[in-house]
Amino acid sequence: MPRRKLSEYRSKKLVNDILGLKYEGWSVASPEETTKVGGYDSYVVKVDQAVKGRFKKGLVLLDVAQSDLRNAVTELQNKGYSSFLIEPYVTHEQTEERYLAMTHDRSGYHLLCSNKGGVNIEQNAKSIEKYFISDDLDWEAVVEKTGIPHSSLQKLVQLFKDNFFVFLEINPYVVTAKGMNILDCAIEVDDAAMYFVDGWNEEDIRHPSMNAKREEEEEVKRLDANSPASFNLSVLNPDGSVFLLLSGGGASVVIADEVHNLGLGKELANYGEYSGNPNTEETFIYTSQVLKLMLASKAKNKVLFVGGAVANFTDIANTFAGIIQALDVYGNDLKKQGIKIYVRRGGPRQEIGLAKIEAALKKHGLFGGVYNPKTSIPEALHTALKGLK
Amino acid sequence: MSIADLRTQDMKVLCLGSHPGIIQSILDYDFLVKKQQPSIMAIVAGGRKQERYFWGESEVIIPVVPKISALSQDVRGRVSAVLNVQSARRVLTSTKEAFELLPNIKLAAVFAEQTPEVHSIELARLARERGILAIGPSSVGLLLPGFAKLGAIGGTQHLQLSEAKILNGGDTAVVSTSGGIVNELIHTVTGAGLGVSFALAVGGDRFPMTTPAEAMLLAEVDTETKRIVFFGELGGTDEYEIAKLIDDKKLTKEIIVYIAGTVAELFETPPQFGHAKALAETHDESASAKKEALKKSGVVVCETFADIAKELKARVKNERSVTQATIGERKKSLIVSHISGDVNGDVHILGKELLKAVEENSVASMTLSMLLGKPVTSKKAIDFTDYVMKLLVDHGPYVSGAVNTIVAARAGKDLVSSLASGLLTIGPRFGGAINEASGNWLQGASGGRTPREFVEKYGGIIPGIGHKKYRIDLPDPRVKALMEFAGNANGDTYVSFAKGVEKVTTSKKGNLILNVDGAIAAILLDILESEMGYSQAELKELVEIEFFNALFVLSRSVGFTAHYLDQRRHDEGLLRLSPNEIRYLGE
Repeated sequence: MPRRKLSEYRSKKLVNDILGLKYEGWSVASPEETTKVGGYDSYVVKVDQAVKGRFKKGLVLLDVAQSDLRNAVTELQNKGYSSFLIEPYVTHEQTEERYLAMTHDRSGYHLLCSNKGGVNIEQNAKSIEKYFISDDLDWEAVVEKTGIPHSSLQKLVQLFKDNFFVFLEINPYVVTAKGMNILDCAIEVDDAAMYFVDGWNEEDIRHPSMNAKREEEEEVKRLDANSPASFNLSVLNPDGSVFLLLSGGGASVVIADEVHNLGLGKELANYGEYSGNPNTEETFIYTSQVLKLMLASKAKNKVLFVGGAVANFTDIANTFAGIIQALDVYGNDLKKQGIKIYVRRGGPRQEIGLAKIEAALKKHGLFGGVYNPKTSIPEALHTALKGLK
Repeated sequence: MSIADLRTQDMKVLCLGSHPGIIQSILDYDFLVKKQQPSIMAIVAGGRKQERYFWGESEVIIPVVPKISALSQDVRGRVSAVLNVQSARRVLTSTKEAFELLPNIKLAAVFAEQTPEVHSIELARLARERGILAIGPSSVGLLLPGFAKLGAIGGTQHLQLSEAKILNGGDTAVVSTSGGIVNELIHTVTGAGLGVSFALAVGGDRFPMTTPAEAMLLAEVDTETKRIVFFGELGGTDEYEIAKLIDDKKLTKEIIVYIAGTVAELFETPPQFGHAKALAETHDESASAKKEALKKSGVVVCETFADIAKELKARVKNERSVTQATIGERKKSLIVSHISGDVNGDVHILGKELLKAVEENSVASMTLSMLLGKPVTSKKAIDFTDYVMKLLVDHGPYVSGAVNTIVAARAGKDLVSSLASGLLTIGPRFGGAINEASGNWLQGASGGRTPREFVEKYGGIIPGIGHKKYRIDLPDPRVKALMEFAGNANGDTYVSFAKGVEKVTTSKKGNLILNVDGAIAAILLDILESEMGYSQAELKELVEIEFFNALFVLSRSVGFTAHYLDQRRHDEGLLRLSPNEIRYLGE
């Protein structure tokens, strides 16, 4: 999943460093780490996890005394977060807040700026001027508009390119007699480029739900990191009734859509998929996580849909062997809860895979239905979810 | 590059990286559509020289080279398509190199997921400059039913390919951002009773090298295509480009679409659905907004996946004739041989029936042909082999191999044991010099060093240099005779180099002359290169597999056998050394 957000700490550090500006801030992951913070009378403590609307959600604590830092971090930690940023609390003189952003696309790199920056930039969208960065760009005009020297703008462009940014937003910044002062800054990177960059790494990546993670999701994350195949799993509604064990980036979304189309979106317990021809062991581990989540759900009627399109190169017999192993482990518990399992899949060695899973489902008393590609994905899914509507 | 143009050419593919499942499926497809030869010419990968695949029920070998530049100019010129299955880290450099070194490529497909966005953008730009149709990254490729399959598209098992009704074409193009769905749609199209004109997986990245809109335009100008089935996802804004093309009347063919990802709209912070680009950052990128825009432009937008099949079935006019072909039972053989084997019960050697080969060959030509693994026609090469086989036959009973043979024979051992006992002494100190000298001359002459630099760097005894008796002022008559075979029309790189080395070494010591081993090595290298067109890489391989030792082993086997028979005729009994021939230093 290439586009990901960097932490506020890393974003500010990269931008300030390249511009030769001093940045004071501490990235902490626990109350204990606040001992490394010092030198000021008052601080701002905030969740640094790419969460939108932090102020409204009470995830930014202003004017925190040195002695209260520990408690402040504990307070935010108790809300389910694990990455925090502490900065000196300084009130800025009220001057013009400005906006600067950079993006890239097929045509090249773009620079956007406005002198009506700040939290209301979206209302002031018309004030944003857009420049295409090329040899013909009138830099003087950009310098005048942004109040940033040409050399600094060049450095930012270079930083953007060298570190495979896809989005950079400095909003707001102020220009004072002493120069540029960056008040807030956000960066999104192309995570496919991690191998090629020095400026950031996996530890700087932030996601709002990164700590709401359940053990099963963590296990899948580890699986994904250690395999050439790919796996992902997100819990959407822990007590949902529709569980999905899907394969393929496209088909998995189609199937989730169909659940939504049937009016069962809120019942969708999880989303995830495996692809890239995982081996039997890996599929066993992945399936086990989905089954554990399923057993833990408090919903009354629960259905598991094992689905996918007609695979190009994922071996159906091998991957289904892993699913069957997991059924052997959890089959009894699933049966006790009256769970039914439906399967729809095609691809290399589908005859073997489908026949074996049908036999396994019947053996464990979990059989709902097994379909090959002659039955369309929606048809199979409708049959599976009929009882839930 | 248009789809119609791709159909007319006999696609010749270079595979960057090896993915046996995908490569086998391409060969299976080639076979099922009755191509004469596999479309894959070679594989670029480390560690092997060739890979074995099935060709129908039989087997075929695909050469493997460590880098593109190791392919001959001729092969590089004939490659028309590239399939890159290497990891995302190498996609930019390896694809770029392919663009630079392969002058006639028309098509490239990139399989890897997780290619950085700017790398895709850069490759797309380079492809456009060169008129190459580049698809991917994270694409399962392109299928041209009846003509070519570049990638995993359509399946990787021959049974899948035979049953998918894709061996002949039809009038419906399939374009999809998802690899699994492109195959699902192919089955949906053929299952509905229509055929596929072409199927293209653009890949699920944010900046595919060929965009969905560009794929639509390929379909628009393709006379075989009547309609397009398109699968898109949330994220990105490609669908608006398609809508604009329709509004501008640049895209007039009927389009049936499914845009996945309305489910994401249920969540404030949705999880990453599906592919890399499938994250809607703005309202415009949501599945609903894109569907709305396409609807406005007159596209048939399916609300559920099942509607695609319904729409397609409604467009079937006549029953489609489907080309059938299958591949039967097949089993990998344990050993492959280029040398000989039975053909319809008769022994064939190097492609010729044995008796015919016997009639047409001298012992020398048969020997050299078999050692090189292909028929040799060069008269000079054959004459040289004949001469060397005679020259190396025996150098007296004093040498270790002959002594061993004699000792074994006198111990009452049989012919094979005695001969083996002699042969087992051949190695670094006895008889192995020709091969070592070949390696040195090859490396020296091709490494750009002067003979003087070579000698300085080498240090120690140089194989092929030096003689006990003969000196610069008392030349070895055998070397002189051998040199009659030097003087090739196309140059004598190795003989010149070896003589250069001799000039340096004899200036140090008079007996450090080019000896028989060194001369044979140099002359043979020159004949192989100048007369027979061997490349440096091929010569290097001959050194590695000890070809240059083979001549000595064969010829000297005659000598050893002669010594064995001689001893048996004498029948002197066990050879035992007397105490005065062994000095015991233990006391």
